[in-house]
Amino acid sequence: MLERLVAAGADPLAHRPSDRPSLGYVCSYVPEEVILAAGFHPVRLGARPGPTGPADSLLQTFACSFARALLDGLLSGRAAGLSGVVFAYTCDSLRAAMEAWKVRAPAGSFIHFLNLPARLEGPGVDTYAASEVQRLADALAGVKGGRQVTAERLAEATRLVADLRRSLGRLDRVRSSRPDLLPGSVFIAVARGAQALERSEAARLLAALADEFEAAAARPSQPAGRPRLLVSGGYLETEQPLRLIEESGADIVADDLCLGWRRIAFAEDDEPNSLAELAARYLRRVPCAAKHPPDPRFDFVVRLADEHQVAGGVFLLQKFCDPHAFDYPALRDRLEATGRPTLLLEVEQGSVASGQARTRLEAFVERLRAGGGSS
Amino acid sequence: MTQPERPLATDLRLAADRDLKGLILKHYLGAYRAKRPFSRRPVAWVTSGAPVEILLALGILPIYPENYGALVGSRKAAVPYCESAEQAGYSQDLCSYARTNIGSMLTGRGELAGRPLPRPDLLVAAKNICDVVVKWWEVTARHFDCPLFILDTPFAADGLTPDQVAYVRGQLEELVVVASKAVRRPAPPPAAFERDLLKVLDLTRQATGLWQEIQTLRQASPTPASALDMFTNLFPIVTLRGTQACVDYYRQVRDELAERVRRGVGAVPGERFRLLWDNIAIWYDFDLVRYLHARGAAFVGETYTDAWGIYQFSPEDEKDPLGAMARQYSLILLNIGLGTRKERLFNMLRAQRADGAVFHSCRSCKTYSLGQYELARAVRDELGLPVLVLEADMTDSRAYAAGPAMTRIDAFLELLTSKA
Ligand code: SF4
Ligand code: SF4
Repeated sequence: MLERLVAAGADPLAHRPSDRPSLGYVCSYVPEEVILAAGFHPVRLGARPGPTGPADSLLQTFACSFARALLDGLLSGRAAGLSGVVFAYTCDSLRAAMEAWKVRAPAGSFIHFLNLPARLEGPGVDTYAASEVQRLADALAGVKGGRQVTAERLAEATRLVADLRRSLGRLDRVRSSRPDLLPGSVFIAVARGAQALERSEAARLLAALADEFEAAAARPSQPAGRPRLLVSGGYLETEQPLRLIEESGADIVADDLCLGWRRIAFAEDDEPNSLAELAARYLRRVPCAAKHPPDPRFDFVVRLADEHQVAGGVFLLQKFCDPHAFDYPALRDRLEATGRPTLLLEVEQGSVASGQARTRLEAFVERLRAGGGSS
Repeated sequence: MTQPERPLATDLRLAADRDLKGLILKHYLGAYRAKRPFSRRPVAWVTSGAPVEILLALGILPIYPENYGALVGSRKAAVPYCESAEQAGYSQDLCSYARTNIGSMLTGRGELAGRPLPRPDLLVAAKNICDVVVKWWEVTARHFDCPLFILDTPFAADGLTPDQVAYVRGQLEELVVVASKAVRRPAPPPAAFERDLLKVLDLTRQATGLWQEIQTLRQASPTPASALDMFTNLFPIVTLRGTQACVDYYRQVRDELAERVRRGVGAVPGERFRLLWDNIAIWYDFDLVRYLHARGAAFVGETYTDAWGIYQFSPEDEKDPLGAMARQYSLILLNIGLGTRKERLFNMLRAQRADGAVFHSCRSCKTYSLGQYELARAVRDELGLPVLVLEADMTDSRAYAAGPAMTRIDAFLELLTSKA
């Protein structure tokens, strides 16, 4: 179960179901429910770590490496078996990657830009978001292999996705209570798999996995005495940064990441009945740094730190990511004001340069062990 | 930054420049005066793509931190401010206008007689130019504990849907209420507000009309104004758009340029090549442009200065000024798709009869710069014109190496010569 999910996360395109068309999407703000309801298998497109090739002739190196690697994958033919790609409006880098793909994509490729609002509050925001999600649904119905998003299909899809999120929520609790059984890096790898694998299979596997882990967690254990950490950042191309933290002697028990809690945790647990409700639900979820206002996100991170009783936080900042880089000083101060030291690591091409980072991490963990709230 | 020795042309300054200094001074002094005790004029910090006409109609004085960034940059003074921001945790990879401003804000120092910008009563940022300003303004709002309004513009890649226009229009209505409240005034009666707004929009229309005339005059050979004139003369159209002073000033510039054209006076003596500039100026290295001038290369257009000609409100718009503004402010250069940008660039190259293009790949500005490689390729391959891509930054000189840039410029000039 675990292996299958992890393998799917590592290579989503190889794990597509063969009985229906697949559609790529970028960003956790794309409602996968709509893609499912329109008859497609949604594949969250990641980016292969490592140096970029063809994308370098289209995007300067100061676009974030995730956006560049994503474009690189598309240009190298990785989207060839997909019915198209749905992008969402997050940041300037991703918008540029989408524009570049539009220029170079084979004629007739389906490329949809989900023009979601950057504002999460305001008089017209809900209506507008609903109109954009409706536009996505309409566009998908017109793609080969697609179908109309009816109320029943939407209900079925939202049930499935909610189910999947609930199981991930259960696993999240295990990660927090027994990180020795379910390390944070493995949890994220599983969550990654859950947006690659065929969703009903993913839901089944996740539920079984949650049962298994909960049973194991119920057995008594020795506390390991490792400091409990929260990580905050954007999309991670690999789990390498998380493993590096764990190897340095700390446990990752909570996250504020695109792949993790930000995607899993939705404000209400009910199942939306219409596209408009679904759109509103996405606006009310745990926000990302590219959305305004920023305070709900800051409050959320501090609350998460309290709930999971973390000793400190590690910021995994994707190099050249404007939204997160602008939030960092304020969020750092908010966390440190609660007596929790923090550490900033830069992620590029999917990983943290390990040499220097390891030394810094070890010193950081040492400080947390010594109970060092004061810096 | 090490400056290589290079022969430079002396600028043939416009007579209007003398008045420009006065305008800039007056603007900033006015902003400081507004902050004195008992002054009743509220100040808003706005982005360059903010719907400033609404604020003017409400009697709020807009000031532009981006313009301030350019001012600090052109005095070659940005680096210490950037460093202060970096020490506070703001990454060196962030836009240098933002870092300059945040550094000035945090240290309480500045380049206007040593002062930072006057404290805002209201902050307005429009996403139409980048996602950076949204975040930067959030930082500012926290710092000053000041009300912040974000104008959220959908990306207008292939035009706008009615829902998108309605979304932006609704926010403009909201802005009237939010801004009034922020400056502790009752929201004006709709009819009176619309009357005032139309007056301001008319002044904007007049100024952008003159601005376009100026750009058209540059089609002449030799061109009466090159990039330095235009970069310097950008201040009123950005900062004073919607005021009478702006209209008066550009009338003067237009007349002066028309006179130059009549007399056959070129901005660059011995004009041999006509070039187009893409992206923001490199504020701390105008010598780079002077070096090109010294070799007979004149700039006949800049996408950057041209971008300000878009705010052309027509009398037709009187029926629904906010709707017209919603459209205009969503369709600005940095918020349209690459295809449309290419079309505009090609039109401009043709209209200004350019022989080549210089792309400043500006590390700070992702919305402007990402996509340039494709634009440069298109100009070279589809129009057969020489192109030069310069990797630099508009204010942070640490990201720029003048030496290698010169080598590339020389190669570019050779290519132009061989094509001439
Ligand atoms: S990491 Fe940041 S810059 Fe990159 S795609 Fe995500 S939000 Fe955009
Ligand atoms: S990123 Fe570009 S458009 Fe945005 S503030 Fe900086 S220079 Fe201006």
